[in-house]
Amino acid sequence: MSLEKVVFGFFVLLAATLNLGFFIGDISDPTLHSVYELFAAVVVSLIATVLKFGDRTQIGAVHLATSLVADLQLIAAALMWAYATQVSSQGLDAAATAGVVSLSGGALLANLVSVALLVIETVSFHRR
Amino acid sequence: MTPQRPGQRHRHRHGRRLSARYTETSPTIFLLLRRMRAPLIVLIVIFSVSVLGLTLVPPGMTFFDAFYFMSYTATTIGYGELPQPFSGAQRLWVMSTIYLTVIGWTYVVGSLLALLGDRTFRQAIALRRFTRTVNRLREPFLLIAGYGQTGQLLGRALDSLGRRLVVLDRSSERVDSLDIDAYYADVPGLTGDAADPRTLDLAGLEHPFCEGVLALTDDDETNLAIAMTAALIRPELTVVARALSPAVEHRMRAFGSPTVVNPFDRFGDHVRLALHAPTSYQMMSWLVRGPGAELPEPGRAPASGRWIVCGFGRFGHKIVEDLRADGLEVTIVDVACAEPGVIVGDASDPAVLERTDPAGAAGFVAGTDNDTTNLSLIAAARRHNPGLFIAARQNHRASAPLFEAIGADWVMVAAEVVSREIYAQLSSPLLWRFLREMPARGDDWAQQLLDRLQAHCGSRLGSVWKVTLTDAETPTLGPWLAGGDARLGDLVRSPQNRDRPLAAVPLMALRGDETVLGPEDDFSLRPDDQLLFVGHPAARRSLVDTVTNRAVGDYVLFDRNVPAGWLWQRLTRRVPHAG
Repeated sequence: MSLEKVVFGFFVLLAATLNLGFFIGDISDPTLHSVYELFAAVVVSLIATVLKFGDRTQIGAVHLATSLVADLQLIAAALMWAYATQVSSQGLDAAATAGVVSLSGGALLANLVSVALLVIETVSFHRR
Repeated sequence: MTPQRPGQRHRHRHGRRLSARYTETSPTIFLLLRRMRAPLIVLIVIFSVSVLGLTLVPPGMTFFDAFYFMSYTATTIGYGELPQPFSGAQRLWVMSTIYLTVIGWTYVVGSLLALLGDRTFRQAIALRRFTRTVNRLREPFLLIAGYGQTGQLLGRALDSLGRRLVVLDRSSERVDSLDIDAYYADVPGLTGDAADPRTLDLAGLEHPFCEGVLALTDDDETNLAIAMTAALIRPELTVVARALSPAVEHRMRAFGSPTVVNPFDRFGDHVRLALHAPTSYQMMSWLVRGPGAELPEPGRAPASGRWIVCGFGRFGHKIVEDLRADGLEVTIVDVACAEPGVIVGDASDPAVLERTDPAGAAGFVAGTDNDTTNLSLIAAARRHNPGLFIAARQNHRASAPLFEAIGADWVMVAAEVVSREIYAQLSSPLLWRFLREMPARGDDWAQQLLDRLQAHCGSRLGSVWKVTLTDAETPTLGPWLAGGDARLGDLVRSPQNRDRPLAAVPLMALRGDETVLGPEDDFSLRPDDQLLFVGHPAARRSLVDTVTNRAVGDYVLFDRNVPAGWLWQRLTRRVPHAG
C-alpha cells in the first residue's frame, strides 16, 4: 500500500462526492445548493488536477484530461455564481441557480469518468 | 548536391527510423509539471483556507469578495480593506493568511527557479532544442562527430563554403564554443557519446537531408563505432573517418566504403611528394587550403641523404617506412622501442644524440608525442648541424607559435592534415581526384600550371568550382558542343571583350572516367564533360553568364551580338544560335 495512491484516490473520490453533493436537489432552488460545497468542490478538484500532473502513462494522461474538464466546468459554475450575485440585477434567481448547478452537473460527469478510470487502474494493475 | 536518391525516400517511408526503437522522452513540460506538483498543491490549499476563513469570520464576506481580497493581498498588490473596513476578527485572520500566502508564493517561485537552474532540466531543454533544430533542417548537412582541433578547422572551412553542419562531441565545453565561434550558419551542437547509435540518431543520422558523417574524434575505437553505425544504418551515406592505427583502418573498411584518413600516412605521402616534386607539393598544399589562401612559400627542398627519426611510435613507423621506400638511409632513436637497428635512449640526452651523428645527416624528424621534447630535440640537433632539414610533429595547437619561432622546415599537425584532406574531398570530388593524379605528371608540369595559376589569380587562391556540360547546367552550349569544334579556349573568354581570356584556369577535365589534367586551350569539349576551374570569383560569375545566358553565350562563342529580349530578337530577326 503506498501513501501516494491513498492520497490520489482520496482526492479523486472526494472531488466526485463533493460535486455530487452540490449537484443533487431541485436544480432551480438556490436554498438546496450550498455555495460552500461548490467552493470545496473547486478546491478539491484543483488539487486532484495537480496530483495528476506529470504522470506519463496513457491512463495518467486521460486522468489529467478529465480533471481539466471538471475544473473548467466548476470554475465556469463559480464564475456564473459570482456574476449572478455581484453583477446581475436579478440576483441569484431560479434561472441563475439552474445554470450554476447544471454546469456543476457536467463536472460531475467528468469526475465520474475519473473515478471509473481509478477503478479500472486498480483492477488491472495489481502490483503498483 | 541533393542527397536524396530514389530508393532512399522509399525506404524511409517504410519506417526504418532508428528512433522508433527508443522510448520517446517525455516533453519538458511534463518534467516541469511533475516537479511543481507539491508547491502548487501547497499554494492551492493556502489560498482556499484563507478564502474560506474570510467568508466565515464575522461579520462574514461573500466568496466573491473574499477571493477578490485574497487575490490582491496574496500577490502583494494590496488595495486595502475592501469592500468595507474590516472587523477586529477579520484583521486577525488576514494577518495570519498574509504570512501563509507569502510562504506559499516563495515556495512556488523558489521551486520554479531551482528547477530552471537544474542541470537535468537544462539538459532536457537543450536536447529538445537540438532535436527540433536538426529535424527542421531542410538543406543537406554534414554530421561532424568529434569537435576537437580537426573538427573545428574543418567545420569553419566547410561553413565558409556554405555547407550546413551538425556537431556532436563528448565535451560540453567544445559544444558550447559553437555559440562563440564565428559561423555563417547556425550550427546545432549536442553533448554526447558519438559511439552511441542513439546519439547519432538524435543528431540526424537518419534525417533525409544528412549527406555525410565525419568521424573525427581522438579515439580510433569511437571513430570505428561511428563509421560502423553509419554504414549499417545508412549504407548510402558518405562516411569519412579519421584513424591512426592501420588495424582500425582495416576494420573500418570492412563496413561499406568509408574514406579513412590517417594523418601520419598522409603526412608520409606529403614527405615523399615534397622529396620528389617540391612544386607539385607546393601546388597541392595551396589548393587544399581553401578560397583566399596565400600561395605557400616554396620552402627548402628536403635534402636527400641520411635522415634521423626521433620517436618510433605510429608516426615514426610511418615516416621511416616512407623514407626507406624512397631509398633513403634512416637512423632511428626511441626511448623504449627495442627493435633491431633502433638506438634506444632519450634523444635529447647529448650522448644519445652523439651516436646518431647529426653532423653527417641531411634531415631530422622530431616525431615524439610530446611537444616540449620535440622542441628540445630540434634545438639540440640544430646545435650539431645548423643545416639540417627539420620536420617536426606538433601535437597541441597551443604550441604552434613555438614551432613557428624555432623555424622548423615542416610542421606536421595531425588536425590540419586531416581537415585539409577531408576538405578537399568534400568540397569537390573533382579537386580530390585532381590532387591524387597530379603528382604523376611531374614537377615541370606542375611548375607550368602553377605559373598559369599565378598569372591568372595572383598569389591568392580564388574559388574552385566545377562545371558539367549538360543541358540543365549549361543550356547555351548545346549547339556549340554538337558542332564538334568546341575548343576549351573559346569558352573561357570574357563576356565584356571576347578577345580577352577569363581569369580562370581549367585544372582538369573529366570525360566518363578519364581525366585530362590541365587541359590546354585547344582541348576539344564534348557534352557531359566535367570541368574543374580555379579562378577569380568574378570569372566564375562571367562563366556562369556565358553558359546560361543565350545572348552572352552567342557573343562569347560565335562573336554575334544578339538582342537579349524576345521582342527585340523578333524585330531585328537576330535569334541566338546558342540553345
